Amino acid sequence: MVHSLDALFNPENIAVIGASNNPLKAGYTVIYNLNQIGYPKQVFPVTVSADEILGRSCYKKLSEIEETVELVVLGTPAKMIYDIMDDLALRMESKHDVKVIVCIAADYGETKTEEGIRRQGCLIETAGKYGIRVVGPNCIGIIDNINRVDTTFVETLIPKEMRGQKGGISFISQSGAMAASILMMGASGPAPISMNKFISIGNMADVDCIDLLEYFEQDEDTKVIGMYLEGYPDGRKLIDTLARIARKKPVVILKVGRSSIGAEAANSHTGSLAGADSVYDAAFRQFGIVRVYTIEDMMDTLQAFDAMKIPDGRNCFLLTQAGGPGIYCTDAFVDEKILKFPLVSEETKNKLADALPPMANVCSPEGYADITAAATVEHHVESLRTVMDDDAVDSVIFVTVVPTFLPRRELAEGLLHLLVEDGYREKKPVCICIMAGNYVWECRQILERGGIHTFDTPAHCVKAMSHMTAYGQFLKRQEEEADE
Amino acid sequence: MSRFLNELDAKNLLSEYGVPMAMSKVAGSQEEAVRIAGEMEFPVVMKILSSDIQHKTEAGCVYLGVGEKDVGKTYEEIMENAAAYKADAAIDGVLIQEMAKEGLEVIVGMKKDPQFGPVLMAGSGGIYVEVFQDIALRLLPVDEKEAVRMIKETKLYQIIRGARGTEYDMDALVSCLLKVSELAVDQPSIEEIDINPLFLYEKGQGAKGVDALIKITEEK
Repeated sequence: MVHSLDALFNPENIAVIGASNNPLKAGYTVIYNLNQIGYPKQVFPVTVSADEILGRSCYKKLSEIEETVELVVLGTPAKMIYDIMDDLALRMESKHDVKVIVCIAADYGETKTEEGIRRQGCLIETAGKYGIRVVGPNCIGIIDNINRVDTTFVETLIPKEMRGQKGGISFISQSGAMAASILMMGASGPAPISMNKFISIGNMADVDCIDLLEYFEQDEDTKVIGMYLEGYPDGRKLIDTLARIARKKPVVILKVGRSSIGAEAANSHTGSLAGADSVYDAAFRQFGIVRVYTIEDMMDTLQAFDAMKIPDGRNCFLLTQAGGPGIYCTDAFVDEKILKFPLVSEETKNKLADALPPMANVCSPEGYADITAAATVEHHVESLRTVMDDDAVDSVIFVTVVPTFLPRRELAEGLLHLLVEDGYREKKPVCICIMAGNYVWECRQILERGGIHTFDTPAHCVKAMSHMTAYGQFLKRQEEEADE
Repeated sequence: MSRFLNELDAKNLLSEYGVPMAMSKVAGSQEEAVRIAGEMEFPVVMKILSSDIQHKTEAGCVYLGVGEKDVGKTYEEIMENAAAYKADAAIDGVLIQEMAKEGLEVIVGMKKDPQFGPVLMAGSGGIYVEVFQDIALRLLPVDEKEAVRMIKETKLYQIIRGARGTEYDMDALVSCLLKVSELAVDQPSIEEIDINPLFLYEKGQGAKGVDALIKITEEK
C-alpha cells in the first residue's frame, strides 16, 4: 500500500528551495548532505542567487523544473512563502507531482504572531489543496539511511564513506536543536550511530508524532523507535498509539517538562498528586513504554535495542576484570531494582575457576566474577563464553579496564570472534564497557564497527540492560496474559 | 461548573458501588444528633457536613472520640466553629459517624485528567500524602492484575506484605480500587474522588473508608 509519507523517506527527486552557495547557510548544507549521503536520484537546487551549487545546476523557480519532483525542501526566509506557494500552485496545476514539503525555515506559527500564523496558514492551505503533506515548519529535516536521503542542515562530520549505513533505530524529535545535538553526538561515538529514519517535526502543522509513530510501526526496517517528547495535545491518543506499538517493538522516550508537576491548583489530594508528568509516567509504565531521563541513556538504550537480543529474564551475570569497577557496577545494578544475580551451575563455576588466573574470584557473591587484572585476552573471551553458555544467565554485563600489558586490538578481535563469528550475540545480550577514554577508543571502534555496541561506563551498561530487561518482562507478561 | 458532593452523599455513592465506608448519618439538630449517636457504639466521630468547607480539621469542625454525654455540646461547638470559619457556608448539618477501628492509612483516588481521561491513584494515605508522595497511578480501565501491579509500585506494599510482622488485606485494597474504577467509568460526571484515609485492616479483615471527597461536573 502506498502511504502518503512514503515520498518523504523515499522520494523521486528532490527540489531544495532556498539553496545557497554560501557554506554558512542551511540551503548549502542541505545540498552538501544530499551529496554526502549519496542520494541516488536527482537534486534540483532552486535559487536566484547562483547557477550551480556543489556541482548541481540551479533553477530560478520550482515550476521551471521539467523532471518529476516528489519532495520539496523549503529553506527560504519565511516572508517569501506567498510567492513560493503561488509558484507551487502553478506547478501542481500541470504536473501534480509534489507529495511532501519539508519546511526547514522558521518564523512561522511558532512565533505566535499574526504574520507567522498567516504564513503557516498559506503553506498548509496550498499544500492541502494539492494533497501535499507538510513536515515542519521550524524543523531541521529528515534522514533516511536506507534510501539515502538527508534533508537536514546539520553537519555531523561523519565521513562520506560511513554515511548511509543501515540501522534499526527510527527517531522522532519535537525539538530541532535536540534533534541536531542527538545527530552530532551520535556521530561522535567510537562508530557513528546510523539510524534507519530520523525526523525533526517542528511545529507539527500537518505531519505530527502520531502519523510518524504509525509509519514506523508498519516499517519493517524499524526495530526500535526513539522519541524526544515535550507534549502532545491529545495525550490519550498518543498513549493509545504508543501502547499498541510497544506490544510489537520497543519505544524509548525522553519526555521532558517534569517540573510543571502540580502547577494547577487542586482541591483533592489526587488532583494535586496526579500532575501531567506523573500521569505520563504512569501510562508509560502501564503500557511497556521505556522512559529515559538523559540523552546518554536514550542513545545507549536505543543502540542496545538495535544491536542486541531482548533478554528472556532478569538474571544478569556481572563479569568484571577489576574489583573497583565491579563494585561500582554492582551499586548501579542494585539501584535499578530490576536485574538479579543468577545462580550458575557448579559446572560453570568449575570451568571458570579452571580457566582463570588463580587470584580470580568466581561467584562470590553469586552471579559475579572478577577475572582480575592478570586476565589475558583468552581469559576475557573464554570466561564470557562460559558464562553465556549457562542456562541460568539471561544477560551479561562485561567490564574491563585495559592495563598496558593487555593488547587492546586483540581483545576487541577476540570478543568480536565470540559474539559475531561464533554467533553468541544471537543467544543473549551483553553490555560491554571497556574503560576508559581515548586509550581504548580504537578497541571500541573495532567492536562497534563489527556491530557490537560499547558503553562509556559500567553504570551506562546497567541502565541500558535494565531498560531492555524491563521491556522483556513486559512482553512476557503480555504473552502470559494473552494465553490465559 | 463543578462542585463537591457533601461528605455524606460522597460516602453513600461509594457505598452503593461496594466500597466499604464507615457508617455515617446526618443530624439537623442537637436532639437528632443525640438520637442518632445513641444508635451507634460510643465513642463517635462528629464533623460538619458542608460542601463549602473542604478543610474541616482546620476549621475546627471535626471531633473524634465523642462520648455519650458530649454529643449535644459538640453539636453546638461544630456549628459555631463553622460559622466563624466561613459565615456564608451552606451547612447540611452535622455528620455522626461510627468511630472506625484504626488501620493502615491508605489513599485511593481518581481524577479525570484533561488529556488522559480517568486516572486511578493508590498509595500511602493520611494527612501527609503530599509530603511522602508514595503513590502509583494508572489510566483506566484497569483489571485486577494491573491494580495489583500498581500497589506493588508503592512503598505501602512493603507494609501490606508485612514489613513489621502484620500483613494487611491486599485483596480488600484491590477490590476498592476496582470498585472506584467502576464508579468512575459508570459516572462520567465525576471529576475527582479521594478516599483518605481508607483504613486497611489485617489480612482477611477488609478495609473501611472514613473520609471521602467527590467532585462532580454539574450539567447545565
